Amino acid sequence: MDETALITSAQQGDLDAFNTLILHYQNAVFNTAARILGDDDLAQDAAQDAFISAFQNIKSFRGGSFKAWLLRTVTNACLDELRRQKRKPTTPLEPETSDGEEIDSPKWLADKGMTPAQKAEADELEHAIQHCLNELPVEFRAAVVLADVQGLDYAEAAAASRVPIGTIKSRIARARLRLRECLRSFEELLPASYRLDEEQAR
Amino acid sequence: MKNHRDIETLSAHLDGQLDSKESTKLESRLKTDPELESALRDLRAARGILRKLPSRKAPRNFTLTRQMVRLKPPLPRSYPLARFTTVFAAILFLCSFTTNTLTPMLNFGFGAGAPAPEAVMAGECEGCEGVAEQEAAATEAPATEEAFAAEMAPAATEEPPIVEMAPAATQAADLAPSSTITISPEILPTEGTEGTEGTEGARALEPTQALKEPAPEPTVEENAAETATQPGVEPEPRRPFNWTFLFLAVSILSGLAMWIMRLSARRKWR
Repeated sequence: MDETALITSAQQGDLDAFNTLILHYQNAVFNTAARILGDDDLAQDAAQDAFISAFQNIKSFRGGSFKAWLLRTVTNACLDELRRQKRKPTTPLEPETSDGEEIDSPKWLADKGMTPAQKAEADELEHAIQHCLNELPVEFRAAVVLADVQGLDYAEAAAASRVPIGTIKSRIARARLRLRECLRSFEELLPASYRLDEEQAR
Repeated sequence: MKNHRDIETLSAHLDGQLDSKESTKLESRLKTDPELESALRDLRAARGILRKLPSRKAPRNFTLTRQMVRLKPPLPRSYPLARFTTVFAAILFLCSFTTNTLTPMLNFGFGAGAPAPEAVMAGECEGCEGVAEQEAAATEAPATEEAFAAEMAPAATEEPPIVEMAPAATQAADLAPSSTITISPEILPTEGTEGTEGTEGARALEPTQALKEPAPEPTVEENAAETATQPGVEPEPRRPFNWTFLFLAVSILSGLAMWIMRLSARRKWR
């Protein structure tokens, strides 16, 4: 596959050329979206939106890593989706006293632990890792997915996230630390090769 | 727990993002600081776990269709020209139409003594007969003068020129009842007649003779009557060219051309 020629054709409006690029990168794009969003359906929508947006803006691609450019598009689509979810109005659950008066803070109702369904899913290692990823702040999650899951270097990850390299470096470090702390609770799920001492032995 | 600066340095060290000087410094610290060593192990484990995370395969193809990206068929190169022509002609049409519509209304509203030109032309306004006649005479004057000049030319070769032509603008302005048309002899054709056989000096004298002995000068009305009686020479009333219809026609035609271009491009696209 001559990627440069396909990109040039796509920039001239050749949809077939762009579809060839899509077929080559769709797994990476979907995987990134799935890891950031933690939901397959939302990830499919985000990936599709990202490809549409990428085709419409492909003239702005000025060279460099096309994969990083595509991942930036899908990361933006994921962040937009997460922001949209945040903006979506929710019906507050206001507990009442026996007199019918609302209790000021319903925070005591929130269960910070995993739900039974989440626990069942987390029995598997992949679900456990995804659970820990979902616990990260969105920016940290995107940084660690781009760098560790997709294997981008710091410069590419910074370009994909549109932040300075120093920021991406800090986010990756903190995300790794938080992940390690989260995964401690799933230590028994980790195979020997993933356990703490194994990496040290490398 | 190490501070954030140390964690960042350790993480960058894992990814090979530190230069050799920083790496050497960090490695010497790692040998003496077990807590730093432990933090490095944690970061390395987390990174290893993430890197071993199975890659999710796309459950379907995300290839795009033309409808999804609202891709339009490629239009011919002449399409922008047709579009520009349509828009430009439409704007001119609107301006022209608005001007033609508003001018009489403004005249009616602000100048009660000045009747609308259309009304005058049509002779619809009372007491405008004189004005209408004047304007009709003014509009017919150039045609009549030309016809008169053409008619007088042969005669001028036989007889001394009796008239002298002044600029047309002054004639139009001086269309008083006593106005006459004079034609300069230099303008009149003098080929192949007896009058041309004279000497140059004689020819030069002819106009002065005409000035000294003025012949009865025909008025515009007489000329008009004369030309009207001549068979085959009918004075046509000169109407102002209607630009509004031209702009409208151009706008419609270029719009039609655009529509045909788009239709044919869409058919080719399919």
